[in-house]
Amino acid sequence: MAQPLVKKDDDRDDEVDYSPFLGIEKGAVLQEARVFNDPQLDPRRCSQVITKLLYLLNQGETFTKVEATEVFFSVTKLFQSKDIGLRRMVYVMIKELSPSADEVIIVTSSLMKDMTSKTDMYRANAIRVLCRITDGTLLTQIERYLKQAIVDKNPVVASAALVSGIHLLQTNPEIVKRWSNEVQEAVQSRAALVQFHALALLHQIRQNDRLAVNKLVSSLTKGSVRSPLAQCLLIRYTSQVIRESANTQAGDRPFYDFLEGCLRHKAEMVIFEAARAITELNGVTTRELTPAITVLQLFLSSSKPVLRFAAVRTLNKVAMTHPMAVTNCNIDMESLISDQNRSIATLAITTLLKTGNESSVDRLMKQITNFMSDIADEFKIVVVEAIRSLCLKFPLKHRSLMNFLSNILREEGGFDYKKAIVDSIVILIRDIPEAKETGLLHLCEFIEDCEFTYLSTQILHFLGIEGPKTSDPSKYIRYIYNRVHLENATVRAAAVSTLAKFGAMVDTLKPRIFVLLRRCLFDNDDEVRDRATLYLNTLGGDGAVVQTGEDVKEFLFGSLDIPLVNLENSLKNYEPSEESFDINSVPREVKTQQLAEKKAPGKKPTGLGAPPAGPPSTVDAYEKLLSSIPEFANFGKLFKSSAPVELTEAETEYAVNVVKHIFDGHVVFQYNCTNTIPEQLLENVTVIVDASEAEEFAEVASKPLRSLPYDSPGQTFVAFEKPEGIPAVGKFSNMLRFIVKEVDPSTGEAEDDGVEDEYQLEELEVVAADYILKVGVSNFRNAWESMGADCERIDEYGLGPRESLAEAVNAVIDLLGMQPCEGTEVVPNNSRSHTCLLSGVYIGNVKVLVRLQFGLDGPKDVAMKLAVRSEDEAVSDAIHEIVASG
Amino acid sequence: MLMAILVSNSAGNILLERFNGIPSEERLHWRTFLVKLGADNLKGARNEELFVASQKSVYIVYTVLGGVCIYIVGKDEYDELALTEVMFVITSSIKDACGKSPSERLFLDKYGKICLCLDEIVWQGILENTEKDRIRRLIGLKPPNPTEI
Repeated sequence: MAQPLVKKDDDRDDEVDYSPFLGIEKGAVLQEARVFNDPQLDPRRCSQVITKLLYLLNQGETFTKVEATEVFFSVTKLFQSKDIGLRRMVYVMIKELSPSADEVIIVTSSLMKDMTSKTDMYRANAIRVLCRITDGTLLTQIERYLKQAIVDKNPVVASAALVSGIHLLQTNPEIVKRWSNEVQEAVQSRAALVQFHALALLHQIRQNDRLAVNKLVSSLTKGSVRSPLAQCLLIRYTSQVIRESANTQAGDRPFYDFLEGCLRHKAEMVIFEAARAITELNGVTTRELTPAITVLQLFLSSSKPVLRFAAVRTLNKVAMTHPMAVTNCNIDMESLISDQNRSIATLAITTLLKTGNESSVDRLMKQITNFMSDIADEFKIVVVEAIRSLCLKFPLKHRSLMNFLSNILREEGGFDYKKAIVDSIVILIRDIPEAKETGLLHLCEFIEDCEFTYLSTQILHFLGIEGPKTSDPSKYIRYIYNRVHLENATVRAAAVSTLAKFGAMVDTLKPRIFVLLRRCLFDNDDEVRDRATLYLNTLGGDGAVVQTGEDVKEFLFGSLDIPLVNLENSLKNYEPSEESFDINSVPREVKTQQLAEKKAPGKKPTGLGAPPAGPPSTVDAYEKLLSSIPEFANFGKLFKSSAPVELTEAETEYAVNVVKHIFDGHVVFQYNCTNTIPEQLLENVTVIVDASEAEEFAEVASKPLRSLPYDSPGQTFVAFEKPEGIPAVGKFSNMLRFIVKEVDPSTGEAEDDGVEDEYQLEELEVVAADYILKVGVSNFRNAWESMGADCERIDEYGLGPRESLAEAVNAVIDLLGMQPCEGTEVVPNNSRSHTCLLSGVYIGNVKVLVRLQFGLDGPKDVAMKLAVRSEDEAVSDAIHEIVASG
Repeated sequence: MLMAILVSNSAGNILLERFNGIPSEERLHWRTFLVKLGADNLKGARNEELFVASQKSVYIVYTVLGGVCIYIVGKDEYDELALTEVMFVITSSIKDACGKSPSERLFLDKYGKICLCLDEIVWQGILENTEKDRIRRLIGLKPPNPTEI
């Protein structure tokens, strides 16, 4: 048994004393560990050294490979000692050192001896250690003992084996699944902990077998579960069964009575679990919710912070979907605003903001004001967002809510917090017209003393858009012009632009704005002076009260309506000459970009980014582009656009790549062409597509590119009809056809006559992966379980010899074109098996989940088990076909 | 998953830490975060009074036991209520090992025994034993009393 390092009387405990580990040093302890090699072992001394080693490890200290190996070998010698306390320490030490596979062999025989020992405690501990350090090969050797241990009459041995099973299921699922009969028997154990561990393991083994889980839940809900922990597990599994049977059974919800009964359990843990399960039921009715809410309400006034936290956290979630059901708790919730625990207070406030009615807003705001000063920024942001939603819900209350926001804007806070407030004010200004003028003034006051350049420039930009439209625009000028005096160059330049906007939009202000802009001509920053000069020369009227022309306004403040990348390219190519740069020469078509297919789900709209719409995403841009072409306008919704596929080698005369746009009944090829020869102008550019190896496709339209000047990318399109909703595949050969005209390099003018020419491009394929969208899921296991096994298809495939497991995994991911989830696309080095999880949406908007299990069969041969779940069995079959034919 | 168990002295120095499933490069962040949480909230706290916090999808339950502060971090099924259960087992086992609520010195004196207790309570992030009497017997490699199963 572990001995204290320094023997001393307990009554000296409270004295300030030196630490027994004072001045402990790794090197010295490693030296001390040589005591393990003594022929005459001193168990007490050895235990002390192990404690020191544990202290080092528990302080985050690491041992080098050599050090760890040396200690490990020494520790194994301690098996010779019969001292029980020391043996217990040895077990811990071996686990902590986690020896590598080649070292494990040293200790295996000692542990196997202990595992078959007559002493129960040796058995239990040996099982735990062996399972921690074992690999698959050793596991098959000891499997027989583990199965016996699961049903051992000593609960400690059974629990050790069961918990080992839970861990081993992650690495060796096939082996552990063979133990289900023994585990099933252990679920009936009289020992509470054994039942708890067995239940957890059995569910993990059978989680994909809906019927088995249903049976397990049915039998246990009728029988007796011996511990609150196991009862909580049972409630979770019951919820799963309810969720899965929701669509198949009519009438009363199965097992609801069981959940409701658990609300009266003596253990708080069980009560909460049941209450949460009820509140999370799909389509839960008020009648079903009421008992759970009542129980949770009682816990709001508990003396234990954990119970208050658990209750308010659950009610906060319920308030998102059923705010009315939570209103009864509002009084209790209000008293939590002053709770010492800030997490509880914040949850209470955000719940109240969701459930409160219009009449209680003012009272609530008063309470929150006191609370805001003593919480951290991260909590404050949550509150600000909740207030924004409340204001949009009750627009009549905008005055008090806007006042609240402006007050907190003046207080101390970091960038994220201030940005959240400014965003909220901007959103309120935009959505509630009555709030506009006060909101703008609040923002004006804020920039008088704003330390964040980003926020100042954004607010100035916003003021330029909204300020001139107010009843008295002149009152904002002072705030804006102050920036020209007091701020850094970036903010000054933004202020100049904003002033100019007021001058252009409000004719009566123009003379005074001109005076201010003229003063900016003496600024010491180039950009500020340039902007002032530009505006003074273009706004017109030389400061008289005249209207600024619409074309000038459009030029100065209108949206560019040109992809910025194209403008950048054209400007780079422009050589200074007599002829000024012509913005109309910039191509308006979207230049090929790397496709970012993964949409950002749930991305919140930010306030300041919104007024002039930000650059569209590539997918949106494609959709916009295609719908603007009349020939493709009736193709319906764009399902997917592929990443560009190069059809020419690098550095050839003409660079062409293609983007495949997939519609339900059509496919459009967008050929992005670039002419890299300065002496040529291409006209009437088309791609002649031979679809003889794509039988299901029929060409229906082609849109030529009228002109393709040097280094100015353009697009030509070809559209095909295909059977609706069918993932037709095929191979297409392409030929670029055009009229080429010589260009005089000195004048840049093309000759009148041209010659027809052709240019062979690479082949292009439409593959199955083109019909699957990469859409990830945040929690694969949940998604998998909630999808259910109805449309599950499982099969095994031999992938033949492969370079590595990782190469095989990537090949299958590419073949299916789905989104890898939870980082499972990464295969650890030297692993011999791997599980990869994929998710996507199949054409027709059918969600698909795939679980791939790879294993090395022999030195290089890779075997794969493919399990597919989707909302449609035909789609599950289709995925298997893709793999079978790939 | 029980992601971390951390014990510090009242000044915030780490006495013992066990992480599960937290990469080593993130451990410093957790250490700092937890110690700061304790410094902000545990001053003047009653012995064994439980405190709770949440950080994104992770829950934290922490307390003062004599001269040491104990923090437990969990996620998924180890929510604030399950962590409370774990905390109860840990505090009662430490008290059992030390004979009373430990001072920092007493905690360090009984360090080996406490390591064994934790080894019985949590195994690689999964709760294994919950009874202090049983744990006391198990760390001495004695079988549990037949009456207490």
